[in-house]
Amino acid sequence: MQRHDVLIVGGGLAGAHAARTAHLAGADVAIVSKLSPLRSHSVAAAGGINAALAEGDTWEGHAFDTIKGSDYLADQDSVEILTRAAPDAIVEMDHLGTPFSRDEQGKLFNRPFGGMRQARAYFAGDRTGLALMQTAWEQLVKEGITLYEEWAATSLIVEEGRFSGLVAYRVSNGALDEFQARACVICTGPGGQMYEKTTNAVTCTGDGLAMALRAGCALKDMEFVQFHPTSLHGPNILITEAARGEGGIMRNAKGERFMEKYSPKMLDLAPRDIVSRAITTEVLEGRAFPGGYVHLDLTHLGKDRIRERLPEVYQFSTEFADVDPGEKPIPIEPAQHYIMGGIATDNDGATNVPGVYAAGECACVSLHGANRLGGNALLECIVFGERAGQAAAAFARGKGQVAGGTTVLAAEDRRVDELMKAEGGESVERVRQDLKRVMWENVGVFRNEADMASAVEAVRALKRRYSNVSVGAREKKFNYALLEAMELRNLLDLSAPIALGALMRRESRGAHARTDHTARDDANWLKHTLAWQYGDRIEVTFEPVRITRWEPKERTY
Amino acid sequence: MTAIKVYRFDPDVDTEPHYDEWDLPVEPGRTVLDLLHEIHYFRDPTLSFRRSCRSAICGSCAMSMNGRTGLSCNTQAKPLLDRDGYLVVEPMKNLPVLKDLVSDMEPFWKAVYDVEPYLQPGKAPKGPYIVPKKRMDLLKIAQDCIMCGSCLSECTSREANPDYLGPAALAKAYRFVADDRDEASLDRLRQYSEANGIWDCDTCLYCNEVCPVHVKPMDAIMAMRERSIEAGIVSQGAKHAIAFYETVLRSGKLNEFATANKSLGLAGMASQASVAARVILRGKTPELRKKKIKGIADVQTLVELNERRKRKGAGR
Repeated sequence: MQRHDVLIVGGGLAGAHAARTAHLAGADVAIVSKLSPLRSHSVAAAGGINAALAEGDTWEGHAFDTIKGSDYLADQDSVEILTRAAPDAIVEMDHLGTPFSRDEQGKLFNRPFGGMRQARAYFAGDRTGLALMQTAWEQLVKEGITLYEEWAATSLIVEEGRFSGLVAYRVSNGALDEFQARACVICTGPGGQMYEKTTNAVTCTGDGLAMALRAGCALKDMEFVQFHPTSLHGPNILITEAARGEGGIMRNAKGERFMEKYSPKMLDLAPRDIVSRAITTEVLEGRAFPGGYVHLDLTHLGKDRIRERLPEVYQFSTEFADVDPGEKPIPIEPAQHYIMGGIATDNDGATNVPGVYAAGECACVSLHGANRLGGNALLECIVFGERAGQAAAAFARGKGQVAGGTTVLAAEDRRVDELMKAEGGESVERVRQDLKRVMWENVGVFRNEADMASAVEAVRALKRRYSNVSVGAREKKFNYALLEAMELRNLLDLSAPIALGALMRRESRGAHARTDHTARDDANWLKHTLAWQYGDRIEVTFEPVRITRWEPKERTY
Repeated sequence: MTAIKVYRFDPDVDTEPHYDEWDLPVEPGRTVLDLLHEIHYFRDPTLSFRRSCRSAICGSCAMSMNGRTGLSCNTQAKPLLDRDGYLVVEPMKNLPVLKDLVSDMEPFWKAVYDVEPYLQPGKAPKGPYIVPKKRMDLLKIAQDCIMCGSCLSECTSREANPDYLGPAALAKAYRFVADDRDEASLDRLRQYSEANGIWDCDTCLYCNEVCPVHVKPMDAIMAMRERSIEAGIVSQGAKHAIAFYETVLRSGKLNEFATANKSLGLAGMASQASVAARVILRGKTPELRKKKIKGIADVQTLVELNERRKRKGAGR
């Protein structure tokens, strides 16, 4: 058994910031992470981080764009906190060492991003997430923060109505152990692997979200799933929005700049939900290339500028699609990219379970509402990672440790043992692939009642099949087959509230686009969904949206 | 269908490694990681390998493919097969194997920790630092490092000396040395000039060549050598480089004796006596008085031109 004041689950950008802040506040902090921190998916974020730092720009402008981008579902007090803190966050990261791109005079560069009326995305080439993650990791090394890496947390322990610890599985030797603490911050990032087409890493299985749901935390707005318009056709590797920020233009098979139809003002830089629907419509109406993709054309930028500003786009296109973007357009298609919903938290990252906090993509404050704008996720990790770390350290201070995790540990031990010993059942991968297909086809870019109802049923059936899988590997060391089985359980647990929330929400808002209820319905649906798990049952309750100064208006671009 | 050979080893169970073979279809566009996934998901779930992002940015899946280290996720399988006629996947070199393709990264991280991999700034300005693009661009040869370990796996100096910090750690070190915001650059150079640091690289260039994200660790190491000499940091390596330079400038040839005398000193020379004796015994006695080579004037002009170019600031 290990014991600390505050546990941070996940070592990505939010986790690293939460850890550093809690550590500087005087808490004994440890990070428990399935991956080595620098392998976290934060490094895949490419294009930028938003802040109203340029002359003439205001936090109110940034806030309004974010709220309009969210289709008015974001909680406006939370967005105010985010956008007010943004300039300081950039300066802080610069002071800690992030190599932001600069102009000849030495000032920070910025570029336009989707849904923003002003260029306010700051960047380090097109590897901004990597650069920020490096800086955050460097600070962990500097502060000597305890790290349990390649330990996958499997369940939270809640005793006497309060957080008391968690159980984690050590990948290197198959050991299960209890970690006791007075508070934890869940920062496990994305969970998009239940979709067939996704830009998420293979390891993005929503472990923290599922763990929190099982432990009694509410998940908020899970039906809002972002589909990124420009993933590489086939492998679905992310081609950053910065490619369009730098001037890239999309065209269909007829050579038409189709965004003129869908967003006459913002064109290719309309928010992601709109662009993804535009591409999908082009595909459905037969104006895409065979196989279902369109072109992203950067050739007019020239090879030099592409290599200077978008080196990763250059590398991805040549290595994964055999296309030199200086010479030929890149084939792209939408793919799942981000989940706006997450563990419901207040503005300090606190959940409804005392002692359990969450930050980053796995949390839902809500900053992004029904659709996130590019460049706001990295910002959220820093600003709300720090807030959650601060609050968790304060909560842990002066509180006694609640003990009593032995029954949870024993139950986890049994579960893992049974999983490992089961024979003759179905393969984990078959169930996973069926889940991915069900979610992509029925709870994807365009949705309708019948599809979503069938998805809710299909997920239930897949859960029954899951109880019968066999792992096929009994080794203790680096048994990734077993880890994948545990991850699949998390994906199944999360797919249920996504499908159910989507089915219940009878309107179209942001990324939730229904062909049978095409309009936004503020009278009935200007509210958040909260999904709760009771045994095998998901229940959904509602919560009003917090509106401060921006009254909902029609959202056009 | 093609046979793929994959290295299998569990040091706790097996006395020695073996290879397993699978017949798999290798269509164009399939990466080595795709093949490993197919094996793991559908043929043998006990095969262990790390991976995450599948887009060459997280650094999890470095391994050796047909003898050369890289990321399995961005290595196309078919071109390798077409070139070599076979496909063999093995763990990284220069690191212990924990199981199958999973390497023990502990020694890798230790070297990175040893270079104090975090900014050591002075008093910060109120807003962001002012650092002209040209200066910030100095970091470019190192800043995109994803810490995958490919360079260390191929490092010939590390192979000879397990205590050598290695290319990734030194590229990380350079990233701070070259950063105008870092105030500890001089102390860093002193530290990295000690044994197992920048002067231990044997300039084989493999690190530059295999880096999957086009970082140039060797260029970073050479840049630190230049900076340390310019800063007048006295180290064995610097003395050797200067002595080497001077004798070549004088005669156009390397004078082993004079170089060793200058870089090691008399006591150091004595310690090399057995090496010298062996060299002489094998009939490889160096000429003690170097005659100038024929084109020495050209050599000296070239050196002078380069010095002038550097003074103008066109160098690093």
